Amino acid sequence: MKIYRNLYIFVCIAAGVFFVFSPQIYAGTNAFEKLRKESANLKTLQANFEQKKSMKILSRPLVSEGRFYYAAPDSIRWEYVKPVRSIVIAHNNSTKRYIDSDGKMVENKMGGAQAMNIVLNEITGWINGRFVQNLSFTAVIHEGTNTMITLTPVGQGMAGFIKKIEIVLSGKAATVKSVKIIEDADSFTQINFKNVEINNTINPSVFQDVK
Amino acid sequence: MKRLLFLIFIIFLSSCQALPQMLPQTLPMINSPVSSTDQKAFACPYPFLKEKYRLVHAVETRMAGDTRGTIIGVTVADPSTRSVSCAIMTAEGMTLFEAESSQGELKVNRALPPFDSADFAKNMIDDIKLIFFAPEGKPRIKGNLPDGAAVCRYSEENGGWIDVSFNKSGGTEIKRYSSSGILRRQIRFNKTAKNIYQRIELQAHEQFNYSLLMTLLEAQPVKSKVLQTKSLRNTQR
Repeated sequence: MKIYRNLYIFVCIAAGVFFVFSPQIYAGTNAFEKLRKESANLKTLQANFEQKKSMKILSRPLVSEGRFYYAAPDSIRWEYVKPVRSIVIAHNNSTKRYIDSDGKMVENKMGGAQAMNIVLNEITGWINGRFVQNLSFTAVIHEGTNTMITLTPVGQGMAGFIKKIEIVLSGKAATVKSVKIIEDADSFTQINFKNVEINNTINPSVFQDVK
Repeated sequence: MKRLLFLIFIIFLSSCQALPQMLPQTLPMINSPVSSTDQKAFACPYPFLKEKYRLVHAVETRMAGDTRGTIIGVTVADPSTRSVSCAIMTAEGMTLFEAESSQGELKVNRALPPFDSADFAKNMIDDIKLIFFAPEGKPRIKGNLPDGAAVCRYSEENGGWIDVSFNKSGGTEIKRYSSSGILRRQIRFNKTAKNIYQRIELQAHEQFNYSLLMTLLEAQPVKSKVLQTKSLRNTQR
């Protein structure tokens, strides 16, 4: 179950940026192929994001903000700056999660690094066009003004955590606009991306240093 | 052989003496109980909620002094009914735990590992009530602890004790002791913060000791639906 919990965290990350480039081809094969071709030239990606968590217990959504970085072939930095600072860095086959403790970033020791590595390996495989069978989700693409991809868990394990994920792509650029992770009827997380930069230079220290 | 046993016994005794910090804290004596006349005038520390509130905290978990992880905790607590709703989520937004307790009944709506153990929900609700709700009943003893802190001691139904104290440097503490007088929980409130719930430290003395450092992210009073309806009607008029 711990693996599923960590899978969830990375599905949130993956769904935000990567699923759009390589979803399982169950529906809309041509559309997915088109997206795959468009993503072939992706070298770096960075964006700000705003996350809104809605639950029955909350009168208004809990808002978090942060920044996302990706550099080919497999470097990721997913950083929350508000309200709680936390960073996930995947680089050179090593994945670590850091949290703020009295103003210092310390490594999260709650475990799960192995699960993170498994998921990230899969994600980077997708980014690089290696379409191995993904048993976790069924993907369906809905084309329109904004393309939407719906991911539905296949197995019972992930289905206990997530009901479905909706990814909205913006126009022709095929970059992700928003991600909605629906846990149940009362609980969902909406992540909106903005200021998306593609193939701009990212300082390598972003994937090495925790500042 | 007898000498050897005696030697082992002496080593055992001396080793116990060398580790006083390993001994659990026990219920302290209240040194200077005030007289019955003074007791009426004695104001007990009251770090508790006076109305229904929704509080969101970043909760840092520490074991053996090391930070283990941080989660976000949401609590809706109503002191008038002693009902509690709570949720735990990750920074990434995943709901790990959701439960509510009302009129003595506990309902767990969601519990993912490691928050799915049988006792977790009950202990968590008990801790929330300990932090935010005044102990039930009247204080059994009022007075001062050996360090001079003003204290009110309440007895619990299960035979345990709760001390609510206010020390000379301005810090407020809650301590829960078992029926045998062993310290089980220690809660410290930040004395300098504007909101007393800005920073709360809970230390749990269990088989494996741990502490929770709670930093307030949001706090807002929750109006009951009846009150909200009334105020809406008044606004419309």
